Amino acid sequence: MEPFEGPPPRTAALSTPGRIAVAVAIGTVAVGALFHLGMVFLHVAPSNTLSKEHTQAVSDYVYPEFEQNWKLFAPEPLQQNIHVQARAEVRGTDGNLSTTGWVDLTGQDIDAMRHNPFPSHTQQNELRRAWSFYTDTHDDKEQPNSGDRSDMSRTYLQRIVRERFGPRLNGGDVVRVQARSATTPIPQPSWGGTRQPAPGTVYRELPWWPVNAAPAAQENAS
Amino acid sequence: MSAHDSPVPSPFAGLGRGLDRAVTRGMNTVTGGAIAPYQSAIVRIGFSLTWLLFLLREFPHRVELYGPDAPWSWDLAKQLVAGNHAFTVLLWTDSRAWFEIVYAFAIVASVMLLLGWRTRTASVLFMIGVLSLQNRSVFEGDGGDNVIHLMAIYLVFTRCGKVWSLDRRLAVRRAAKAADVGGAADLGKATEAGADPVGIALWTVFGVALLAASLAGKLSTGWALLFWAFWLIQAVWWAVRRVAPGEPHTVLDIIADIVHNGAMLVIVVEVCLIYSTAGWYKIQGGAWQDGTALYYPLHLDDFSPWPALSHTLAGNDLAVMLITYGTVIVQVAFPFTLFNRRVKNVLLVAMMLEHASIALVLGLPFFSLAMIAADAVFLPTGFLVWAADRLLRRLRPGGGRPAAVVHEQGAAGPEQDVRPEQDVRPAGPADPAVGPPQTGAVT
Repeated sequence: MEPFEGPPPRTAALSTPGRIAVAVAIGTVAVGALFHLGMVFLHVAPSNTLSKEHTQAVSDYVYPEFEQNWKLFAPEPLQQNIHVQARAEVRGTDGNLSTTGWVDLTGQDIDAMRHNPFPSHTQQNELRRAWSFYTDTHDDKEQPNSGDRSDMSRTYLQRIVRERFGPRLNGGDVVRVQARSATTPIPQPSWGGTRQPAPGTVYRELPWWPVNAAPAAQENAS
Repeated sequence: MSAHDSPVPSPFAGLGRGLDRAVTRGMNTVTGGAIAPYQSAIVRIGFSLTWLLFLLREFPHRVELYGPDAPWSWDLAKQLVAGNHAFTVLLWTDSRAWFEIVYAFAIVASVMLLLGWRTRTASVLFMIGVLSLQNRSVFEGDGGDNVIHLMAIYLVFTRCGKVWSLDRRLAVRRAAKAADVGGAADLGKATEAGADPVGIALWTVFGVALLAASLAGKLSTGWALLFWAFWLIQAVWWAVRRVAPGEPHTVLDIIADIVHNGAMLVIVVEVCLIYSTAGWYKIQGGAWQDGTALYYPLHLDDFSPWPALSHTLAGNDLAVMLITYGTVIVQVAFPFTLFNRRVKNVLLVAMMLEHASIALVLGLPFFSLAMIAADAVFLPTGFLVWAADRLLRRLRPGGGRPAAVVHEQGAAGPEQDVRPEQDVRPAGPADPAVGPPQTGAVT
């Protein structure tokens, strides 16, 4: 190959200090870019000898600003519809307590999203992610297993449910609320039924939560 | 066989020389200018537009998403951020007015970046807006927010306003005016001459804001350093432009190009990592292996705004299998196709079409738009220039006149300085000086 085509490189005309500055910049940017990409790679790659050794350093670097979450529908797409439902206990004007039927909160979101080309995050992500945050931080006996995060997830879910009902319902004051999930497996495709046949809807009922005790205040106290 | 008395020439002969040459060529490339100005501009436009549309769409829901009394309350957010140290100005105070100001600020910053007005500053403001809102309520986000979050940070380090920006237009106009007045047809000289009072005013305002935030102890050390560094660099840039337009200016310009080129590399690899990991995670799943995976999301209530359409598609076993396998193949293969321009472009079209369908079918318009904006970094320059030309001709009722952006060489804004002698990579065959993975971004 002959000498490079095009004009002479811009660095050719620089003085020595100028060249040193450019060289330092190249070195710094190269190290910085490769370090960043290396950290991100170790974070997304399957657990390996290198990433195991430096787990803490990698997650300290990647979280919170360089989080990588590319697992939508992977490795397995969710194969069930999870609806968060809730009911409330209401004290009427006569002082009597009554309990409402279960209200399908997720169902309300789905109705709002139907035939809407631009669904809101409040409809598509809020309940879905709040519920998975809750189930990630509680065991199947509803006991917290992730310290502060369990409390946060429970408070979050409570606030969503309370907000959706509002302070007054059916002409009375909401005294306490209860949430449950209704999980319905998606029927197997007729042509690829290699997995178990679907059972019916399964419910997971959470304890009743009083409404008046402000959860935020509880949290600060604890 | 007859020549067995002369030694076989080593296949490694000339390797050292070739390596030397490659290194020199690489150095000349990274110091020779901002690589891929059109691609960085389309990424800038794509992401600022996506975030702007998102903010406008969520305007009626903004309080529920990010307001002080959102379900994810100010106290909850404070507690979470105290643990992970994410950056957000929304937690500086729980006042409703502050929230409204920040939301409006995020909209304005998006418009600034979209138009490419004071692009360098706009990119920092845009990042502040994105991070402040997203880190305030992480549990409201999805993959689309994640890509915007990353790109908002990366864009700060690119010179993404060199083309298709107001900065560019204003610089050209100033140069034309200077040429009319003093006969100085040099685009570079004309922009260098300006004292830029608006820039000084903005710089002062942000300096005061930064000082207030620092004194109030609202910034972590890392973020304080970063913002002060940006603020100082703006001053140095201005001073050097005014006082020392010779070599110091050239050195600064080269360093800015090097940083831009590093950031573009990071963006390109990040997009590859997104596809690789999405593909590799999928391969491990049984439903992706037996070709039924697509069937399930089409039956998920949260992701089927058009049930009739979704269920019709899900009922077609051949289509489901082809799209399921096709998705995995494209995602896993994409990074490797960057070595071949033609195959890369075919896959790029496939991915953009898939994301466009996801927008509609799964009801994920902003996620899809963000991914298309990320894909756009791999679009060929020739295509981008042609598409912009078509678009401008259509927008201008007169037609006829060729789009200014196409023929003006060497681009920049008032803050970014112009080097007219430098050639913006022309539409056409691949630049032989650039090897993969940048090839994808450049060609």
